[in-house]
Order: sequence, then C-alpha cells, then structure tokens
Amino acid sequence: MFGYLRPEREELKVREYELYRSVYCGLCKSLGKDYGIISRLTLSYDCTMLAMLTASLKSECSHVSDGRCRVNPLKKCLMCDIEGEAMHLAGAVSVIMTYYKLSDTIADSGFLKRTGARIIRALFKGSLKKAGKSYPEIESDVREMVQAQQIAEENDSGIDASADPTAKLLSKLCRRLSDDEMTQLVLERFGYYLGRWIYIIDAADDLEKDIKHHSFNPFIKEQRKTPEETYLFCNETLNMTAAQLIMAYELLELGSYKEILDNVVYHGLSFQQRECLFEKKSEKKDRKMKKQRHKDYYTFLSGGTDRR
Amino acid sequence: MKDPYQVLGVSRSASDEEIKKAYRELAKKYHPDKYNDTPLADVASEKMKEVNEAYHAITAERKNGSPDSSRSSAYSSSYDSSYSSSYSNSYGSSHQSLFDEIRAMINGGNFSAAEEMLSGIPSDERNAEWYYLMGVVVYRKGFLSDAYNYFQTACRMDPSNEEYQSMFRRIQQQRSGSQGGYNASSSSAANDCCDICTCLICTDCLCNGCR
Repeated sequence: MFGYLRPEREELKVREYELYRSVYCGLCKSLGKDYGIISRLTLSYDCTMLAMLTASLKSECSHVSDGRCRVNPLKKCLMCDIEGEAMHLAGAVSVIMTYYKLSDTIADSGFLKRTGARIIRALFKGSLKKAGKSYPEIESDVREMVQAQQIAEENDSGIDASADPTAKLLSKLCRRLSDDEMTQLVLERFGYYLGRWIYIIDAADDLEKDIKHHSFNPFIKEQRKTPEETYLFCNETLNMTAAQLIMAYELLELGSYKEILDNVVYHGLSFQQRECLFEKKSEKKDRKMKKQRHKDYYTFLSGGTDRR
Repeated sequence: MKDPYQVLGVSRSASDEEIKKAYRELAKKYHPDKYNDTPLADVASEKMKEVNEAYHAITAERKNGSPDSSRSSAYSSSYDSSYSSSYSNSYGSSHQSLFDEIRAMINGGNFSAAEEMLSGIPSDERNAEWYYLMGVVVYRKGFLSDAYNYFQTACRMDPSNEEYQSMFRRIQQQRSGSQGGYNASSSSAANDCCDICTCLICTDCLCNGCR
C-alpha cells in the first residue's frame, strides 16, 4: 500500500527535487531519532508527502543542512529539519502503518512469508508502543480501519465499500492537520479521496497476483473480457477519484512545498496510474533501457563537441 | 479582511492585466458549478466570494486611489445551490411526494436519512428518479463507482431528463481523466510522437557522426 504518492521527477525543478530529497532524508533521520535505527526501514514516499503537507498547512519552518546518509555513509546528502510537528507525525504514521501492514501480511500469507513478517513485526513492537503513546488516536484509527477492512473483505464488498476504510483513515488523519473548521472540512474530503485513490491503485496493481493466489480483490468481480479492458475500467475509477481529490486540493491554502505537492497531485498521480496499469514489467525494463540509451547519447554528444 | 493582493496571489506592483488574469484563473478554479453536489460547495462559494471581493477592492482602489470597501459587496455574486429549480415531474408516480421529501432532505444536508428512506422503497418500485437521487446521496458520501452506476441506470430509464443527463455527463468527464488522473486514450498518440522524436534524434546523431 506504500509508495504511490510521489512527484514525477521529470516535472520538478532541480531545486524542488533537492528539497524533496532533503525532506525524505530528513524524515529518515527523524525516524531514527524518534524510534531507533530499525524504524528507518519504514521510510516511504507517502509519509514524506504527509510531512510536506503538514509543514505546508501549518507553515512550519524548515532548515536544510548537510549530512551523511546513515545507510550509505559514503553518500553525502542534504537533510531537512522541520520545526514543529510535521516530521514527528509523519514518522509516527509510518511506524504505525508498517506495523499493521505486517500484521495483515501475517494474517493472509503462507507459512514462510508469515514467519518472516512475524520476526520483522517483533522488531517494530517497541517503536509501535512509542508511536502509540505519542499519537494514541492515530493508532486507534488504524486499528479500526484494519477491522473494518476485514469485514469489507469477508462480505466480498464492491469497490466503494472496500476502499471506504482506508479512505476514512486518511480522512481522519488529514483532518488533524488544521485547526480551522473550514479547512478541516476540505482536508476531510481531500484525505478521503486520497485514501480511496491509494486503495484502488494498490488493488489494481495487485490484481493479477490476487487472481493467481485467489486472494480478495474488489476488481475481480469487475473483470471485463480482456485484461486491457479491465485496466481501462480501473483507470476510469481512479480518474474519477483523482478529479474529486483535485477539487478538494484546490481549496487548500498551502505555503511552502506547494510546488512539490502540486506536482504530486497534478502529475504524480497520473504518472503512477500509467506506470501501474498500462506498463507491464517487460515495458518497464524497456523504458529503463531507453533511458540508458538517452544517457549514452548525451555522453556521445558531449564527447563529440570536445573532439571538435 | 485579508490583503486583497494576497488573496489573488499577485504582488502590489502587478499590472491590471496580471490582476485580471489571476482573477480569471481563480474564478475558474473555485467556480461553484464545479463543486455542485459535493460537500465542499459552501467552502468553494466562500472562496469565490473572497476572490470577488479582493478583485473588486483592487480595481476600486486603483480607480479611485483609495480602498473602497462599500462597493465590493455589491459585486459578489450569490449562488444558489438548491435543487428546487430542477424538479422533475416526468414520472408522476405515487412516490412523487416521497421523492420531493427526499430532495428536501438532500438540500438540507441530511444524507443518511435520505439514504435510509431511499433504501426503504421496494426494488420493483424504483424508477429513474430513485436511481438519480440514490446516485446523488452516494456521490456525496464518496462512493463514486456506485454513484456512476446509479446515474447510468437513471439515464437509461429516462434518457430525456436533462438533470440526470448533465450529472452523468459530468461524471463521465471525470472518468475520462480530463480533470485529473491519467487519460489512457491519448497515450498511444503521445507514444507515437515520442517514437518520431527518437527517430529524428537518432538520424541527427548519425549526421553528426558523418561530419
């Protein structure tokens, strides 16, 4: 369920891209500080987006400084530190969500994967307790969501009802980001459609796998004659959600990070839809090769001018 | 009141043209028709009012050389979001009064009660209006796929009704990806373009090599 909310790199300005990277690295550092080194593994693009959204809405101050990556100490990187709640909230959400996602894996997977997930989950237990202490409402909301999700799956619900628990969770989470009543209303809707979009794209992305393993997926009932048509249907459902999400987003008053958040909403979502639904794995490889070819071409060009 | 320049997102030194452009963009963004039938209609119209006031405050200030707030309110357009104008009586069934009651509930913002009443109507007595109203209720809740199906059924049962058609068209437009998301049908054309470009670049490359 993670990693779908990210900016499209090609549409970012270089300084925006560096700022984004610095928030990502800063969140990793903050996770390490708050919950210990193991919790750094929970770092995700979605929580980076949450940190930026929080900072933007609460107009919290950020400082960028030089640092070194803990995972790869040879790599220098910029680290962003945000004064206020943004990083702590995003870190707590990251830890809590990962823990419950692992619990979900334990419940649905085969023996080997289950045992693996159990071991990793045990490592996160301490972090979860700490996060739950700082943000008890978020933990109870997530627990509620997991239960509601189970009920939805048992009832073999349609797309809307299956997406509802995740959507509601994000709705509650986003509502927390403002104290102004009107903004809360907007954030509630924004969060709802954001959660819905994440759930649906995750379901569409896993469709093939779920059909193979006979797992629950709301799109199984909605299958069309060919896989292509099914994916077109998934895309339409996502478009509808994105349109609503953008309508709510446009009513938000954002400060810093607005350009990056705009990029996620206007380009990132569409890019992810294309990537997950219409580009099969072989094509992805093909794209990588194309990129390499472009690189070769540019080196060739620069080499060519030197020779002249 | 907020600084009108800040509301429009322009600097104090911006030209009249720039202000007009910023105003037009914001007015398009917050246009009440876009938010019709969503829970954010009130917020959007509030923003629209703010933008209108800011624009007129700036134009008045520039004309007279001093801020003039008394005129600004006269300009702000009022927007009526109620359904009353578009009542349809094409069916004239025994449930008409009940449907009117449900519409009143929807206008009043009492969606769960409206949904409960709609669900209480037995399935063989469900007409186009039932499907339309049910669509409106679940659309507000965020159940977009169900809403799409309801509106589709309503349009199929009563193709001549403009109210159902316009709602269905709106949702169809959203599904196409023109208002966010990914438009899958245009992708093949874009790919072809890219291929042509790559071809040209490669040819160009060869030409450079020859020189």
